Amino acid sequence: MRLLKPAMLALVIGTTVNVANGQDQGESNKFVSKEDYLKLKEEHAHLKQELEALKSRLEQLSKSAASQEGTNVKAQVEDLQKKGASRQAETDQALDEFDKELKQVKQMAKDSFPGSTKMLLAGYGSATFMATRSGYGPAQPLPPDSRDANSSFSATFNPIFLWKMSDRLLFEGELELELEGSETSTALEMAHISYLLNDYMTIGAGKFLNPGDYFVERQHMAWVNKLPDKPLAVYDGLMPESLVGVQVRGAIPVGPTKIGYAFFAANAPTLTTTPADPTNPIELGTLSFDNFDNSNGHISAGGRVGFYPMPELEIGYGFQTAAVAPRGSDVNALLQSVDLTYVRDSDILKGTVNLHGQWVWSHVDRYTYDASGSGGFGPLTFTNNRNGGYAQLAYRPSKLENIVLKNLEPVVRYDMINQKKTPVGFDERRFTLGLNYWLGASTVVKVAYEFDRQNGTGQNGNAFFTQFALGF
Amino acid sequence: MKSKITWLLATLLSIASTATFLLSSGCSTAGPQVPAGTAAAKQPLATAGSTANASGAQLWAQNCGHCHNIRTPTFYSDAQWEVVVLHMRVRANLTAEEHKQILAFLKSAH
Repeated sequence: MRLLKPAMLALVIGTTVNVANGQDQGESNKFVSKEDYLKLKEEHAHLKQELEALKSRLEQLSKSAASQEGTNVKAQVEDLQKKGASRQAETDQALDEFDKELKQVKQMAKDSFPGSTKMLLAGYGSATFMATRSGYGPAQPLPPDSRDANSSFSATFNPIFLWKMSDRLLFEGELELELEGSETSTALEMAHISYLLNDYMTIGAGKFLNPGDYFVERQHMAWVNKLPDKPLAVYDGLMPESLVGVQVRGAIPVGPTKIGYAFFAANAPTLTTTPADPTNPIELGTLSFDNFDNSNGHISAGGRVGFYPMPELEIGYGFQTAAVAPRGSDVNALLQSVDLTYVRDSDILKGTVNLHGQWVWSHVDRYTYDASGSGGFGPLTFTNNRNGGYAQLAYRPSKLENIVLKNLEPVVRYDMINQKKTPVGFDERRFTLGLNYWLGASTVVKVAYEFDRQNGTGQNGNAFFTQFALGF
Repeated sequence: MKSKITWLLATLLSIASTATFLLSSGCSTAGPQVPAGTAAAKQPLATAGSTANASGAQLWAQNCGHCHNIRTPTFYSDAQWEVVVLHMRVRANLTAEEHKQILAFLKSAH
């Protein structure tokens, strides 16, 4: 391009000089002949053609040069992009390395704490006020004056010690400290060592909560239980709260769902054959579950299988069977339980619906109590069949925006125990209305009113409860 | 005996009726109440009837909320969650995969 411009300039100047030269020559001769004129005309036409050709050539060269420049610019841009991407990759890599180093430093900080095991103090506590009207009393037999109207405060504290010895080994211990009258009672609720055998099985030994009773194992804690008191039959009733023995448990994935299981061998309960009061032998034929020394030498077997047809629903069956009579006698007991739990978050209902139900059966074989009559209450021969359970529905409108309403949780429960045909002599039905206010995920204030109806030798009576419960 | 059977049937009927109503009411498939602002609240919900493909956040909401209110991931430290989740694996019969995913979620949510 730079060479073409001077060439064009020289051509134009040359042409002009030639024409001017011709004119000068003409002026010197004064007149131009026809031949000269034709010659000059021919030269002019020739030069014009050459000029047009040069112009055309120049345009072609200009286009070619422009194309060449565009290619060069594109290449430069691509080169810059490549360099930019390379720098970005370097930056990302540096950040990744920085993150890794940060995690390593964090892990080193964690590892620097003393000891290689991890221990946690968890648990729960509660404070309860109860006011009863005359006639109110639990299902277990009571002296008549215990059914007088009464008001009282009580408190419990259940520290739970969790000790993770390794990724596979866990120790769980729980104490229950409770005010009883003017004294504080202490009980070892749980002392259990678990070992994860594989992905699907855990073995354990010690004193553990009864895995065959859903309410006992999953719902009885004060901050979990929706009402201030516990339902009839399923707790402190027809099935044991805890067992001393060994267990194997776990969960097996089944397609899109799973089956949970727990089986145990433990000290057997003991049949009550001698009443505290021979004139009123109401506890005859019941089972004592506080048989920690296994005085009769029997071992019970049992367990529970829970199935999840969908994530929100669990259906379970639990059982326990054992010989329960004194040595030399052949009396067996069979305890069974079915349970249902359904918990669901509903957009339509603007909250969480919580449904629990459980029913238990207790069967003790036919036995003759005080066969010789020396105890003063026999001989009495009967089969002890009792059953009972509860259904409970709670709803918390947690999706509402109002901060007060979203923390309220109304609860309704119906529970019962059937034992009229035993020495106890009455059935019991209770209907309880409750309202909870959640101060936090595991802190709740509960208020409830309970209607208690008993037939046979029992009495009717109502009770008011309020409870503050906290889990930590 | 007749009265016992009547009460038992009434109880079971009530439970079945409530469950049927809830199942047919078009409820969401989320687990129980999920604290707002948590990763679980932001993640897509599990397909009904499926636990195998659920995320750690979903498994946390489903399994923990089955028995009690859900505690936020910040309730415990990472080290404490390791103990608590192992404890709940034993108590609530969690699978190994559920244990792994729930723990990973709780740690990542800090």
